[in-house]
Amino acid sequence: MFMARSEYDRGINTFSPEGRLFQVEYSLEAIKLGSTAIGVATSEGVILGVEKRVTSTLLETSSVEKIVEIDRHIGCAMSGLQADARSMVEHARVECQSHAFNYNEPLRVESCTQAICDLALRFGESADGEESIMSRPFGVALLIAGYDEDGPSLYHAEPSGTFYRYDAKAIGSGSEGAQAELQNEYHKSLSIADAETLVLKTLKQVMEEKLDSKNVQLASVTKERGFRIYTDEEMAAVVERLPTN
Amino acid sequence: MAAMFSQNPLMNGPNYSFNDSPRTSAPEGAREHRFDPYTDNGGSTLAIAGADFTIMAGDTRLTSGYSINSRHHPKLFKIGGTTADQKDATIVLSVVGFAADGEALKERLDAICKMYRYRHGKPMSVKACAQRLSTILYQKRFFPYYAYAILGGLDEEGKGAVYSYDPVGSYEREQCRAGGAAASLIMPFLDNQVNFKNQYIPNSGEGHALQERERRPLSRNEVEVLVKDAFDGAVERHIEVGDGLQMMVITKDGIEEILMPLKRD
Repeated sequence: MFMARSEYDRGINTFSPEGRLFQVEYSLEAIKLGSTAIGVATSEGVILGVEKRVTSTLLETSSVEKIVEIDRHIGCAMSGLQADARSMVEHARVECQSHAFNYNEPLRVESCTQAICDLALRFGESADGEESIMSRPFGVALLIAGYDEDGPSLYHAEPSGTFYRYDAKAIGSGSEGAQAELQNEYHKSLSIADAETLVLKTLKQVMEEKLDSKNVQLASVTKERGFRIYTDEEMAAVVERLPTN
Repeated sequence: MAAMFSQNPLMNGPNYSFNDSPRTSAPEGAREHRFDPYTDNGGSTLAIAGADFTIMAGDTRLTSGYSINSRHHPKLFKIGGTTADQKDATIVLSVVGFAADGEALKERLDAICKMYRYRHGKPMSVKACAQRLSTILYQKRFFPYYAYAILGGLDEEGKGAVYSYDPVGSYEREQCRAGGAAASLIMPFLDNQVNFKNQYIPNSGEGHALQERERRPLSRNEVEVLVKDAFDGAVERHIEVGDGLQMMVITKDGIEEILMPLKRD
């Protein structure tokens, strides 16, 4: 960012003369510091994968939670400030439950993503009498995977409040390399097993540590089983399958 | 509130659904003030689900006590269309009881259906609409809409679907249901003619061995005739029912509206 430090950095909702919102742009930078997360959508379901940064051998790796359930049919992976994701996920969970309560049907994945993004710009000084909830933008991006009446889908939600649907998407520190790899390797006829290996293979390339079954995590969303985080045994089996390991 | 329960044991003789219970005596000079927010506007509704259609019907008389306020006041509303005339709607709501509450309920459900289409990019299914109507009604549990609602449409498989409600949102999917002033007159007729209740195969056995007549889906024509007969019967015996019969036939091709005259006496 060349325009470093100006008075427009301060006011959180203030446009710069070039029409930029610096605090929002900085929040996007925060994500580039986060651990890598990858999502791949296939016709059978969606696979999410994250790297867990194991900073100490004394760290209990199972306590690093970067993939969480939103509803039975929706899950998400995150990169950036973990704590910020909690309020977004909480909001999404409430939205899903309230929809099921009111309409006796699961919330669509796109509607769930939209609900999360509705939160994104509720920061800064609020209008008269209106309470604002956050002092700054979210510092986390989400990959939202789900299965609804239109089949499996994968969405990417940013702190700016925009979201797009992807066949395959990488976020976080290794996202540039990983996205290029996905671009090369993705095709429409991937199976779930193919997607599992593609996700891990791509993570392996961009991770600083050596990939093993403890420092990565996978989850899937399928029609039959809904959202599911892989068990240690399943993780070990997929890592085993990786070429030249 | 006595009017909410149509069979009032306090009243001898004919039971009208409006409140005409005798005044209890008050001390001389005493004046009673009270908030009386509900009226019963009479009328009756009816819905029958077929194999691939649903027929909703209601009379068009609007009464208040012994007066007829209107001879053409529809109780059937198309819900969730995208245009002002609702020509692309797929769901019908019928309401009977207090007309103002019924109208308010219709407006609210319709607005919610429109918002749903914007938010989720698809029309609401009858199943979703049915659940939402229940939550709307229950949200006003302690100051209810005085309306007996019936919701009709086609389910995800294209079969006819009828959902019936009480004023506070209890609901159930059924094959057929009558509501309103003449519900107690029409419902037994429907039980017999739609669900073949108390119809047995002659000489098929003695006592409990007697076999019930097997149920079969009715054709659209049969149901239309049934509806007309049900209302002709209700008009004959209930003073709050009459003037006109409004019928809506919901099929995969849309909703067809039919208006027929009923006795105006």
